[in-house]
This record gives sequence, structure tokens and C-alpha cells, in this order.
Amino acid sequence: MSALLQVSNVVAGYGDGPAILNGASVKVQPGKVHCIIGPNGAGKSTLLKAIVGMLRIREGDVRFKGESVKGLRPDQVLRKGICFVPQERALFPKMTVRENLRMGGYSMRDKVELERRIDEIEARFPILKERRDQHAGTLSGGQQQTLSMARTMILRPEIVMLDEPSLGLAPKIVAEIFDIMRVMTEDGITILLVEQNALMGLKHADWGVVLDLGRTLFEGPGQEILNDPRIQELYLGGRKAA
Amino acid sequence: MADMIQILVLGLALGGVYALMGSGLSLVFGVMRIVNLAHPSLVMAGAYIAYWAFRLGGVDPMVTLPVALVILAATGVLLYKLVFEREARSAKYSEMTVLLTFALAMVVEGALGTAFTNTQRVTSPDYATDAFFIGSVFIPKGQLYSGIVSLTIISALALFLKFSAFGNAIRATTQNRDAAELLGVNVNLVGLVSFAIGIGLAGAAGALVSFVFSFFPAKHWEWIAILMSLVVLGGMGSILGTVLAAFILSIVAAYVGFFFGATWSTLTFFVALFVVLLVRPQGLFGEKPELA
Repeated sequence: MSALLQVSNVVAGYGDGPAILNGASVKVQPGKVHCIIGPNGAGKSTLLKAIVGMLRIREGDVRFKGESVKGLRPDQVLRKGICFVPQERALFPKMTVRENLRMGGYSMRDKVELERRIDEIEARFPILKERRDQHAGTLSGGQQQTLSMARTMILRPEIVMLDEPSLGLAPKIVAEIFDIMRVMTEDGITILLVEQNALMGLKHADWGVVLDLGRTLFEGPGQEILNDPRIQELYLGGRKAA
Repeated sequence: MADMIQILVLGLALGGVYALMGSGLSLVFGVMRIVNLAHPSLVMAGAYIAYWAFRLGGVDPMVTLPVALVILAATGVLLYKLVFEREARSAKYSEMTVLLTFALAMVVEGALGTAFTNTQRVTSPDYATDAFFIGSVFIPKGQLYSGIVSLTIISALALFLKFSAFGNAIRATTQNRDAAELLGVNVNLVGLVSFAIGIGLAGAAGALVSFVFSFFPAKHWEWIAILMSLVVLGGMGSILGTVLAAFILSIVAAYVGFFFGATWSTLTFFVALFVVLLVRPQGLFGEKPELA
């Protein structure tokens, strides 16, 4: 099966600073939940930012459905069908839940269709309907994450990339967040997420990618990686001095 | 008692113009994080446009107002393109904008002084010196009209920000620039338009100021401190907050003027600035500052 998104040997960093990614590669298969794990500073978030065009890719390539998206601006990448939810959840705290959803479809021309899709989202996530006129900043952490994820669905993207969606959430809420990801895959959305909590991420993911020092170490089915001895080594400090 | 009501009315009447001056400043700060120290000097430029239109052509400042708004908005576009857009990529953006806007204020002041001298001016349409009476309370027509016009303009701005797609994009950019950009908002265009609106509002306020206060090119220094206190009390970037702060402070200033003498009334704004920064630095409607 050909990859939906193919990241090949990407080198990237912030501004003129040192490269954070030193040849990272990821293959994303359609309809699956992919989880990128790796120790602090491995370049997990940086990889997502490079894919979406927030950082310039110095070397390597990113291909989406066979077409290079390297060098595109974030809004152009969005229009191609790749949606990114950054770590800070990216909500507008002083806009209502409904206004936040509406911003999700800002790039849509057809505003009638936009309203229809918002109604659809509200039907699927009753909590968002209940809180529609409340400022997003007053929602709980879980509700905010739900809103962030639901908002991506407005544009019916093919890939949604999530940067640590579980950050700061209670375990029970985290489970709900992963449930939402399942719902999204049933809708044909492919998920690529970054998790600090490797155990939890891999448990829920179909495919795991292990990143360290800006390079892809290895990848495989989530369960297999969980049991891979190299994981122990990576996280429990067996790394050999460079 | 009648005195107390009278002072309240005078304070309220002035609040509107302050609110209009402050809301332009607040909008520009909110979207672009520019503390525009040149804002009141541009108000002054608007005042001169209204003054000369009246003096030379007998044109009512209310009629000149939209013209001043458009001229200043166009100036805003030019300034943005020439100066601020480039600066936005600089790592020392905030520091640079403070210096740049300070320099801009000096340039505008110098240009106005050279062109029109430092003589005190005031536009004097009939209503500027007339008043309504309700019982023994008098309401100066000039201040009343300027207040009504200010609030009308601010309401129009608020409706635009709340209900139009582009207005929503402006608010979104104010609240979370990166997120707005990720959702496809052209944040550079948002910056340009907001800057133009903000400076345009300075021009509109200038037309009103021209008959409410007497003015001369260097007067903007007094106003920058007053406007800063409004924007800080309102919560940096919150337009509603700025408007409320404008009314609260101008009413308080009116009472201070009555009880302690007019020289002390301006001090109200400075004291408020210090107290707010000490007690509630986020102002009425601002974000709680992050502990860093």
C-alpha cells in the first residue's frame, strides 16, 4: 500500500539555529492512528511543525499523496487536507465555542455549508452544543481538547496531526481523547500524533514511530514497539555515550 | 447634589472621545503587539485636518470626520507597509516598535509644528460653545455630540469584530496568532487592516478633539499617558475594557477636578496607571499575565 504521507530524511531546525531533525522519516498509512514517541528533545513536535510548514525544511522531502508539500505555508498545507493541532490546543479563549468552530472553517468559501458542518459536529459532540455560547477559555482541559479536535473535522481533512493531546489531562479524560481519535479514523481521517507518554500513546496507536536525536530509530505496530527491548534502553538510559 | 450630577455628566461627556482614542490604540496593540506611542500625535493630525477644513472652508468637523478617518487610515497602510511589516520579522520586535513609534510621534509633532506653528487652536462650530439644560444641569453640546459620535463608531467597530468573518479573524489573531495562522487566516493582512482601522480611528477622534479641546502639536505627550492608563486599566488589547476604563477614569477625573482643582484631575490617570499595574496588572478584561 502506498503511503498517504511520506516524510523522507527531513533536516530542519528553528530559524538559523542548529538542526533539530537530522534525517527523520515517517510513512503514514491511510486510516490508521500513528504515534511518534521518543525522549525529550528527540524532535517530535519539530517534525510536525516541519510537515505543516511552520519550519523550513532544509533537506529531505514531505510528500502528501505523492505530491511534495515542502515549502508550502501552513494555510496551504491545510488546504491540501493536513490539519495540525499544536500543543497549546490553539483555541481562541475569548471567543465562544461556536465561534471557535467557525474559525475552523475560515478558509471555506461556502458559509452555509460551514454552518451545516458545525451543526453536524455539535450533533456528534453534545458537550460542544451545550457549551456553544461559552468562551472556550472557560472549558475544562478535556473539553478544550475535544473542541480542538472537533474543530479540525470541519474541513474534513485527510490527516490530523496532534501534538501531545493528552498533556495535562487526567487518565480518564485521556481515554476519551483517544476514543475521539477512533471516531475520527472511522470517518476516514488518518491520525499522526506525538506523545511524551510513550506507553499510553503506543497502547492506543496502530503504528509507532520511535524518534531520537532527530532521526527515526525504528517503527512498527504499536504493540510490538511496546515490547521492544530497544524502548527500555532508550527511556531507561542505556544509550551509549556519543 | 446638583453639582455632583453636573460633574458626572461632564465626565461622561468626555469619556466618549477618550474611549474612541483608546480603542484604536487598543486594537493595534491587541493584534500587532505594538504599543503605538504615536497614536495621539496622529489624533492631532486628524484635529488639524478638521481645523483647517473648518477655518478655510467652513466645513463642520462632523463632516470632515470621515475624511480624516480615511486619510489617516491610508497613512496607516503606508506606515505599516514601510515600517512595521518589515519590523515584524525582527527578533527585537517589541523593543523596535516602541522606539519606532516614539520616533514617529516626534516626526509627526515636528511636521505639524513646522506647518502650522505651535499656536493653540480650536475648531469652533456653533454647537461647540452651546449647551442643553436639564433643570440646572447643563450639557455642553460639543462634548455630547462628540460622545455620541464616538460611541456610534465604537459600536460599529464592535459589531464588525463580533459578526463579520474578517472581524472574527482579527479577534482570533489577537487571542492566538499562531492558531489563527494555522487555520488559514492571513495574519499579515489582518495586521495591515487592523493597523489601518486603528490609525483611522485616531483621525476620526482628532476631528472630534478639534472642537472639544484646544490643541497644539506637542499636546499629544499629555494624551499618550492618559491613553496608556485607559488601555492598561481596560486590559491591554480589550476594546470593551478600554471603553469602560475611559468612562470610569474621565468621571473620576472630573470629580477630582471639582474637589481638588483642575490641575489635579489629569493626575487621576497617572495614579490609576500605577495602581492598576500594582494591584491588577491584567486590567479589567485582560489576560492574567503568565508567571515567568
